[in-house]
Amino acid sequence: MKPDLINTLGGGLLNVLILLVTAPFFEGVLRKITAMIQSRQGPPLLQPYFDLLKLLGKDDLESGESPGMQRFAACLSLASILAVAWLVPMVGWPPLNGAGDVILLVYLLTLCCVSTLLAGLAAGSTYSLMGISREMMTMITLEPLFVVAILVGAVHTRSLRLDEVLSGSVYAAGHFPWSGWIMLVVLLISFQALVNRVPFDIAEAETEIMEGPLMEYSGPKLALFKYAQMSKLVVYSALFIGLFVPWGSGLPFPANLCVFWLKIFVVVLGVTLVAATHARYRIDQAIRYFAGLLGVAFIALVLAVYGY
Amino acid sequence: MVAREILEKIKQKFGPAIPRADLPAPGRLFIFANPSALKEICQFIFHDLNARYVISIGADDRPVSGQFMVAHNFAFDNLHLLSSVLTYVDGEPPVVDSISGVVPAANWAEREFRDLVGIQPKGHAYPKRLILSDGWPEGVHPLRKDVPWNFVPPNYDDQKEFTFEDPPEGCVVVPFGPFHPTLDEPAHFRLYVEGEMVRGCEYRGFMAHRGIEKLAESVLTYNEIPMAAERICGICGCVHNVAYAQAVEQAAAIRPPPRAEYVRTIMLEVERLHSHLLWVGLASHILGFDTLFMQSFRMREPIMWIAEKISGNRKTYALCTIGGVRWNFTPELKAELRQVLDKLETEWRAAADAISRDRNVQKRTRGIGIADQALIRRAAMVGPVARAGGVDIDCRRDHPYAAYDQVEFKVIVEPDGDVWSRILVRVKEVFESIKIIRQCLEKMPNGPIQLEIRAELPPGRIGLSSVEAPRGESHHFVITGENNRPRRWRVRAPTYQNLQGIPAMIKDQQLADMTITLGSIDPCFSCTDRLETIDLRSGRTRVYSQEELVRLVRARKDS
Repeated sequence: MKPDLINTLGGGLLNVLILLVTAPFFEGVLRKITAMIQSRQGPPLLQPYFDLLKLLGKDDLESGESPGMQRFAACLSLASILAVAWLVPMVGWPPLNGAGDVILLVYLLTLCCVSTLLAGLAAGSTYSLMGISREMMTMITLEPLFVVAILVGAVHTRSLRLDEVLSGSVYAAGHFPWSGWIMLVVLLISFQALVNRVPFDIAEAETEIMEGPLMEYSGPKLALFKYAQMSKLVVYSALFIGLFVPWGSGLPFPANLCVFWLKIFVVVLGVTLVAATHARYRIDQAIRYFAGLLGVAFIALVLAVYGY
Repeated sequence: MVAREILEKIKQKFGPAIPRADLPAPGRLFIFANPSALKEICQFIFHDLNARYVISIGADDRPVSGQFMVAHNFAFDNLHLLSSVLTYVDGEPPVVDSISGVVPAANWAEREFRDLVGIQPKGHAYPKRLILSDGWPEGVHPLRKDVPWNFVPPNYDDQKEFTFEDPPEGCVVVPFGPFHPTLDEPAHFRLYVEGEMVRGCEYRGFMAHRGIEKLAESVLTYNEIPMAAERICGICGCVHNVAYAQAVEQAAAIRPPPRAEYVRTIMLEVERLHSHLLWVGLASHILGFDTLFMQSFRMREPIMWIAEKISGNRKTYALCTIGGVRWNFTPELKAELRQVLDKLETEWRAAADAISRDRNVQKRTRGIGIADQALIRRAAMVGPVARAGGVDIDCRRDHPYAAYDQVEFKVIVEPDGDVWSRILVRVKEVFESIKIIRQCLEKMPNGPIQLEIRAELPPGRIGLSSVEAPRGESHHFVITGENNRPRRWRVRAPTYQNLQGIPAMIKDQQLADMTITLGSIDPCFSCTDRLETIDLRSGRTRVYSQEELVRLVRARKDS
């Protein structure tokens, strides 16, 4: 075997493993800090692991219109986010650097959202359908934001390679153009929506449409969706850090890894604080908000093309 | 005297149709009208004299007069007067002119006496069943005196499904309930939804009617009923407890000792404190703002503890008997209550500040679920919902009871009529309640807390009592009777009227706003249904039929 292949395979599997192990931990952190803000004791840090184990151990009930499709959607949601893990630098470099590029990254991220749509559509209950109509509206306005951010980076580096784009490319190697700053702000204020947290957990809003697309799911299938949700938080944090907060990745091993995971921790902390201090927006309010951001993002893209 | 002036005005117009009128106490007026003039008199009172509709009552008076009785209650809030227009009707089935055409808020109440007493409201625009389930046979009316309290008709079909109207064209039906995370109790809204917009709805409630009124009229005694009354509601039980006691006291012309009235005032305000804090928490939860939910529940907890110290119970204080109260305040209790209030006031001021500055919450609640003055009058809505719509009514000031005429407080009114105004009203009322309790603690006289009643209460007297519950006016109507129990007792909880305004409030709004709009009236279905939910745990997996569940629940005495 060539060392390249070993690097890719080993690194990819390592990334998947790291993601699977850390995602529930960060969820635990999120829950614990939320509890502290709310003057509660909160669950132990390891509770999300137990939750997942418990759900995985339950009977696989079939409730909904097309059980086969539902099972597929559940697997797809976790699988797609784990596939994204191959493209994200979590231990210093993106393992699939040789074969994949940022276009693949965008496709896989969209696939995660599509799996939610599929889940709701296959379940087919009224609330699920309302949930996916909300999810669809969010997706249409939200996904382009992330794509534009990546494109801005790609334009600045004149490359679609993962390792080049995901290392602070938006700042054009220390030139700090306007477009980079604009995209930083845009993604900062839409980040809650990318990871489906309050105030933008509209598609699942428990008190309105009872978890929307996930309403019909329980047991192992629910566990997969939950796992995907937790992983999404870590993956998007890693992508955000790759694009916008690259400092410290040049440090010698293991200091660079420590800095990286510290940054992830800070992002999770930020998400928690925002989620704990906001009420949920309504779908039309959220769409208007995203549409405004999208306009700003396109301006940034144009600026980037002209080198600003 | 205002009651006399009002009566004169009505008599001038309808003199011959009013054979009798009573003014038994200040602030009470009973007009006995001929059935033929009932509708015109109610129209005159509602439209020309500008009274507020309260409730309608049907009663089976056959054992005494051989007839059925119908009463329509109205309140003249700025004149401090509660009035009742009564009439007696014959026949089988007895028929009375429906007033819901001229007083729209009477819609439910008339359907209720049609279901329960079998008095037909003639000319009712929407005479669908309201309370009885669709499987209940025609012609059996549980509140008639010849129907035993535990009677179940042999042809009762408890599996029969409800019949619903067809949705308008182009709309999808979104079922909201009978069970939904934001409904604490079973109630069923069938929402007609077009995209994300609600175009209309149909309501079916009354899913587990407990028949408390029937029990009171046939099994319980005067002093047992307060304990049953406060079980009408798990949140504002003390209100029903006090309102019932006051209605009987008014009917029998008894006045409890002053100290008892102060104790009642304090406990009612303690209840309002815990209820408003609970509501702010639940409303935040509905909006997805769980931090405020948790914080307001934390602040509420000391109130529950002090209530337990006073009455032995966090809720259901078992406070009143006829002519007094059962719990007294020691100096230590008073000091402790003061401390709890001080702490709550500081904490709530911080919370109120945070809420009033929160743009995010305002975005979700401003201009949402609007109940304007016209709707409030049409549906006879009460309490914080009315006050948030600029309608300045509050029974504590308008129809003073207990010790409310001895204390000073502000009635909080907001002009906009949206969910945000309702939040503001309730948030500010917390401070007023604290103020009231402090004044009561200061002014409470010494003396007995229970009046000695030796004689039998006189039968056939009518009592009305309105108590300002956290959700609005709770109105109790009592006719005293024989055998140490009332002949008829009718409870009108605030949600009964507020809920009737909901279809107009949610129409042409986003579905996402439906839950907070419904939440903003602080609905209390148990008050409205006078029902009870039963929590049942089972380790085995099997499906129980309703019948089996009922049997199981009855067999289990230890849980």
